[in-house]
Amino acid sequence: MSHSILGKSQEEKQVQKGLLDGIKRGETVLEARGITKRFPGVVANDHIDFEIRAGEIHAILGENGAGKTTLMNILFGLYQPDEGEVIVGGKEVKFRSPLDAIDLGIGMVHQNRKLVSAHTVIENIVLGHPRAGKILNLKRTGGEINELCERYGFKIDLRAKVWQLSEGEKQVVEILKALYRGAKVLILDEPTSALAPPETKKLLASIEAMATDELAIVPFITHKLPIVLAISDRVTVLRRGKVTARSETACVTEKSLAKEMVGREVIFRLERANVETGKPILQVENLSALSDKGFLALEGVSFSVREGEIFGIAGVSGNGQHELAEVLAGLRKAQGGKVILGGKDITHSSCLERWQMGLGYIPSERVEVGSIGDFSLVENIAMNFYFDANFSQRGIVDYGNIRKLTEEIVSEYNVAAPSPDTKAKNLSGGNLQKLILARVLSRRPRLLIANLPTQGLDVGATEFVRNKLMEAKKEKAGILLISEDLDEVLSVSDWVAPIYEGKFTGIIPGEEAKRESVGAMMAGSRPPLFLPPVGGGEGGQET
Amino acid sequence: MRIGSHELRLEKRLTLTGWEAAIISILAIIFGLALFSIIFILDGVNPLFAYQEIFSYAFANPYGLPLTMSRFIFLLLCTSAFIIPFRAGLWNIGMTGQLYVGALGAFAVLFALGGKASRSADLSPGILIPLMLIGAALGGAGLAAIAGFLKGRFNINEIVVTMLLNFIAFWLVSFMIKEGGPFMNPGGRGESFELPFSVRAPLIMGIPFTIFLALGIALVLYFLFAKTQIGYQIRAYGHSPAAARYAGISTFRIPLLVFIMGGAVAGLAGYHYFAAVPGVYKIARNYGFFGDLAFYGIICGLIALGNPLAAIPVALLFGGLSIGGRFVQGKLNMGFGLDYALLGVLMITLVAFQFFYRYKIVWVKTGEDRLDVGVYR
Repeated sequence: MSHSILGKSQEEKQVQKGLLDGIKRGETVLEARGITKRFPGVVANDHIDFEIRAGEIHAILGENGAGKTTLMNILFGLYQPDEGEVIVGGKEVKFRSPLDAIDLGIGMVHQNRKLVSAHTVIENIVLGHPRAGKILNLKRTGGEINELCERYGFKIDLRAKVWQLSEGEKQVVEILKALYRGAKVLILDEPTSALAPPETKKLLASIEAMATDELAIVPFITHKLPIVLAISDRVTVLRRGKVTARSETACVTEKSLAKEMVGREVIFRLERANVETGKPILQVENLSALSDKGFLALEGVSFSVREGEIFGIAGVSGNGQHELAEVLAGLRKAQGGKVILGGKDITHSSCLERWQMGLGYIPSERVEVGSIGDFSLVENIAMNFYFDANFSQRGIVDYGNIRKLTEEIVSEYNVAAPSPDTKAKNLSGGNLQKLILARVLSRRPRLLIANLPTQGLDVGATEFVRNKLMEAKKEKAGILLISEDLDEVLSVSDWVAPIYEGKFTGIIPGEEAKRESVGAMMAGSRPPLFLPPVGGGEGGQET
Repeated sequence: MRIGSHELRLEKRLTLTGWEAAIISILAIIFGLALFSIIFILDGVNPLFAYQEIFSYAFANPYGLPLTMSRFIFLLLCTSAFIIPFRAGLWNIGMTGQLYVGALGAFAVLFALGGKASRSADLSPGILIPLMLIGAALGGAGLAAIAGFLKGRFNINEIVVTMLLNFIAFWLVSFMIKEGGPFMNPGGRGESFELPFSVRAPLIMGIPFTIFLALGIALVLYFLFAKTQIGYQIRAYGHSPAAARYAGISTFRIPLLVFIMGGAVAGLAGYHYFAAVPGVYKIARNYGFFGDLAFYGIICGLIALGNPLAAIPVALLFGGLSIGGRFVQGKLNMGFGLDYALLGVLMITLVAFQFFYRYKIVWVKTGEDRLDVGVYR
């Protein structure tokens, strides 16, 4: 590279800054022509053409690994394309780094937050801002940021430390940071994947507000079809690195989008399988537990799950369902109450003992807890089998046998991986979840706890996971499903228990559960309809 | 970097075979030796001659070779002591302290069974040597267990704890062997009593029997990590304690276990140096020197990437170079510290060359003749 690393000449800077000034609604601001990017073994982007106009919300849709994030990283200057051009305001540009993109008015909010958690909101927003100067004028800056908040409907305490914020609030900080840097194009990578439903609603409203503003131009990446339909003006669908559809959102339906995305018809509704239920496999009595921060997150929950039924817990994250799952799995101490598995009190049993007794746990944190990135697929499968007498004798692990099991799993569950020796960190989110699901189900658990099993998965993988849960149910496993996706809980559960602030607001038979009432109960209301008869216990507990 | 229509490019390696790693390491050593020849040239010494002297003294000389082997055994034990916790993602910076307490453990056995009385005391080596080995292992393990327990129970940083325990162990040795201490040499001199002749470690062709111990431990560790449940649990914990916990692995027992094992091996290194190397057979006045040497175990372990078998050639090389370097420094009248400088340069190049474990340089034809100039064209 022959240019100076230290920076552009004054003249260049001027030209750049001006590129997006005075752009009018409907004009093309950012364009990609024939973008191709290869990584060892895959073509992540294959001659992609794509453009964004001022004032539009442009959704980019695709399954995990379809190349959405790669494309956005190229538009943001994180990657250089192997072929093709990026055009901003009619001029071809070549980004050396995201700094060039930011200078031009392109902002990106990543799926993984990139904030300094010990600093306040305002400090994070001004961090790296050229106008912040050497001495921070927090009063003036704060005023400007508050103005932005008001205009787009964000509510945030600028003096709060970032570690105190929820995921949704952190995202707001990232968006504010980009806007304060003067972003005219805002790239949001799967912005709703970590948000609770009310937070999602607020965010969508803010996005619409930004789009009506002349300057805010918002492409949008997600695989959540209803959101795409509700909010975007145009949509581009990617599949295996290629554009498969490009359309006005008004002209498409959920079905047609799903088809373009997956490449085949997708069934959205699952038939609830009718399975004769057996004896109770899990009984929970008055269970309570502390959160990581030390306050009571779960307050005296009682319920039971029988063989061959799915007990669905619906709730906005942070209402104690995560703590419940961990207590049941043996990863968190119970503060009070009892857990009985197949008639045996396991309240004080270790995690390993529970695995051996037939409990299977699919954690919500696939990358941090459910798998080990630097381990091969074989070693990851071993996580639930190294202690199993069929796969290890006299302290020696039979890796040959586990490899066979891995090969079976990979072919039966269609895990896209070059070989059983591939490291788990090279799998996409959907494939990783398939691997974890397969590993746990291969133990044929009597009780399966699935914590957010389809979160962040694309349509195809979600369908697959739900089908597998149904299969396990048919094989007489008791299943505890924890989900934030109300539709998911309602469509598969035999019992629905909305959870709010550590307590169930009711336990309703699946056929009787209605979207509206359960939604209200997730938000804490206890409609009289579901109050127990006089003299009954708390909630509508089945017996 | 582009040159005409060709381009030098860095590509990420997806896999690395053992052979590729070995070749990269050998290239690194050659590069490091070439780099260090500047020092010889500046002193007016032909570097080829100097290296020939170093290697022939270290590996082919009847006086040098036993020294090299003793040093190698010591380094290999220290490396193994580092590798065991390292595979669990934990850093043992306390081999120094552990080997001191290991040495004290071995000498305590002797002390208790009357070995202090006289150099010619007639003791049974068949019983005493195993007991001394056990004493050494227990001593090292006991000290390291403190760090493992604190890590497992309270998540206290093991680097700080093992490091600070080194100081405690250092002064503990001092208390035991200096004037007035129970292990004091009858003649004073600030060193411990000498090992009776009868219980000095047997030599095989001038090399202490501890070589079998060191090689055996390396083999066992390799097998442990590759095949066993315990090894799997240690590695899983090393990559992700949270995931290990989910898989039913105790996050209390694993740190405790690896530090007990690592400490025991470091304790054996203490036995080796103070009770098995010809010409020592006591806790010497300058015992601090061996403690400092133990730190090379960390670097050898890192260069071997935590592989107990790869540690064998690495420890052999560094053991030989430290002996040969010191010899050449004296023979060629070169400045003090030549051996340390040589080891340092080699270690840095070896670690720096690990870059090529993750990347390779490829020479590709781009087909298109263009230059990157400016931000946009």
